[in-house]
Amino acid sequence: MRTISYAQAIKEAIEEEMRRDPTVILYGEDVANFGGIFRITSGLKEQFGEQRVFDTPISENAFVGAGVGAALTGLRPIVELQFADFLFTAGDEIVLKAGMWRYGHGGAYQVPLVVRCPSGAAGVGPEHGQCPESFFMHAPGLRIVCPATAADAKGLLKSAIRDNNPVLYFEHKLLYATKGEVPEGADYLVPLGKASVRRQGDALTLVAISAMVPKAMAAAERLASEGHHIEVIDPRSLNPFDRPAIIESVKKTGKIVVAEESYKTLGVGAEIGAMLMEQALEYLDRPLKRVAIPDVPIPTSPVLEKFVIPSEESIYAACRELLN
Amino acid sequence: MDKQIALDIYKKIILSRRLEERVAELIKAGQVGGFMHPGVGQEALQCAAIAALRKDDYLLYAHRGVAYWVARGIPLDKVLCDLACKEGGTNHGKGGVMRVVYPELGVLGESGTLGGCFPIASGAGLSIKVKGEDRVVLCFFGDGTSNRGTFHESANFCAVRKLPVVFLCENNGWAVSMPTERSTAVKDIADRAKGYAMPGEVVDGNDVEQVYKAVSEAIARARHGAGPSLVEAKTYRLWGHWIGDPDSYRSREEVEKQWRRDPIPIYEKKLGDEKILTEAIKQEVEADARAQIDRAVEFMQKQPFPKPESALEDLYA
Ligand SMILES: Cc1ncc(C[n+]2csc(CCOP(=O)(O)OP(=O)(O)O)c2C)c(N)n1
Ligand SMILES: [Mg+2]
Repeated sequence: MRTISYAQAIKEAIEEEMRRDPTVILYGEDVANFGGIFRITSGLKEQFGEQRVFDTPISENAFVGAGVGAALTGLRPIVELQFADFLFTAGDEIVLKAGMWRYGHGGAYQVPLVVRCPSGAAGVGPEHGQCPESFFMHAPGLRIVCPATAADAKGLLKSAIRDNNPVLYFEHKLLYATKGEVPEGADYLVPLGKASVRRQGDALTLVAISAMVPKAMAAAERLASEGHHIEVIDPRSLNPFDRPAIIESVKKTGKIVVAEESYKTLGVGAEIGAMLMEQALEYLDRPLKRVAIPDVPIPTSPVLEKFVIPSEESIYAACRELLN
Repeated sequence: MDKQIALDIYKKIILSRRLEERVAELIKAGQVGGFMHPGVGQEALQCAAIAALRKDDYLLYAHRGVAYWVARGIPLDKVLCDLACKEGGTNHGKGGVMRVVYPELGVLGESGTLGGCFPIASGAGLSIKVKGEDRVVLCFFGDGTSNRGTFHESANFCAVRKLPVVFLCENNGWAVSMPTERSTAVKDIADRAKGYAMPGEVVDGNDVEQVYKAVSEAIARARHGAGPSLVEAKTYRLWGHWIGDPDSYRSREEVEKQWRRDPIPIYEKKLGDEKILTEAIKQEVEADARAQIDRAVEFMQKQPFPKPESALEDLYA
């Protein structure tokens, strides 16, 4: 199979879906003339024209909310935010409009909107470097997708565009350049809500999200060389959330570590912990461990950033502690 | 103004005022929940503006009263069921008073946060433009709401993309207890149109003809690709902000004076002078309004409340 980058996979998904469905449009700041600040969308304006691919003013509330309005009236907009952090800038439009319009109006409308959110610490500090997935996992009505590989980046984005609900699609900045095998063909889809078991094992369950997946895989490799077979689970979407996949794995391993690039308090690991308390407590033979940001904003200096962002080493250490 | 249109608007205004009065009684009787913001005094502009729309146009109404729904032709029994949070309405108890919705007539619903309407209206305008349709979007909002950032972002967004959106500000002088002159730096909100290079016009919101004319012109411009407009209708909220508002922040003299500008007698006199309205027609219109409201209230009273577990439905498509 051919190998392409995560960034190319995203572009390919958009291209294929725009070709397939004339109601798909793409817009955001600098996406058309420049191809986006991360250069994901270059050439799309030339291919699909200025009506369907265009640049917007710096008006996150207006253009995210317009995505909701356009979705209510028959389009499938893909809206690019320059940074996932700006979800908070457009908070009303995301949480109260995209998430609640359908429900508040008794199901009269659907909101087939995709908001692309470049996420992740990359030397860009507190307001451009977050992975804010768990804030929005708390909000009803939204779908939350966070691919870790090039193949999932493509297959999940295509599913997100075809989904009739609002989807926040988190693309990690440090994954853009990573490469992987990606199936060809316009019909390649990865369903939302289905976790991927990246590596099988019976010694410990390691749940890793987004850019934590490659770090978790490296830690698992190292632990394998020490004789511990780790099961690495990548949920791929946090809403819908494949709870059974995690519970089944814990029933087998009795131990769990959750690695995520969000703040520890009320992060995804907290939800997994609560879920296991309710549904699988008797299978746990050690306490759950969370590897996450220690409840501070993300500092800009590489030295400081490295200290707060979970690493292969910190994931390895957390697993080791449970295995001892 | 066409005589039939003038008379139709009159009927809608009377039906709206009588319905508002009945809803107030239902609220006092505990049959309709609070949160209803009565539109008494503003029905003329609301009905006149909506009369200028085509059936397939989109509407984002504001929180001020029942006239928007009446004017657009949403069945009264459905409106009343929504107000009472019962089955048989349009939103199944999920949105209550604030979210009457009617896709068949382009009624997109309501944003619970003031100013949430502007980006949604812009998006509907975007859809129209991308699909090459000749529909328009009419978006109502209050003077207080004109200070939300979403207004300014959306006005600019619609102007640069020449989207077919008509922004209609109902300047009733107050936002709850805050007088417009203390909340808003410009005297005329329509002046803000200049900042977004779109036409802005002030009209007397208690004059049906002025409103109908200005909104019709704005709609025509939008329909023909000339982009958005801002119309400011000066009016007054004759009742409290909500049913039960102690209304302690403004003088009785002020309110009394404004009752002398109640748009209904003004319009009746005008239609009478033009021989469109006779005493006989007037009585017929009143009787018809009463009969429609009685029927709808009776329907609503017989409807059940939604099943509690239906709270879990309607979230995802
Ligand atoms: C974002 C937001 N802020 C405040 C409120 C509460 N609120 C509801 S109506 C209202 C006054 C609105 O004034 P205006 O826009 O002039 O409309 P009017 O009530 O006068 O018709 C307020 C403050 C709200 N619903 N949403
Ligand atoms: Mg007001």
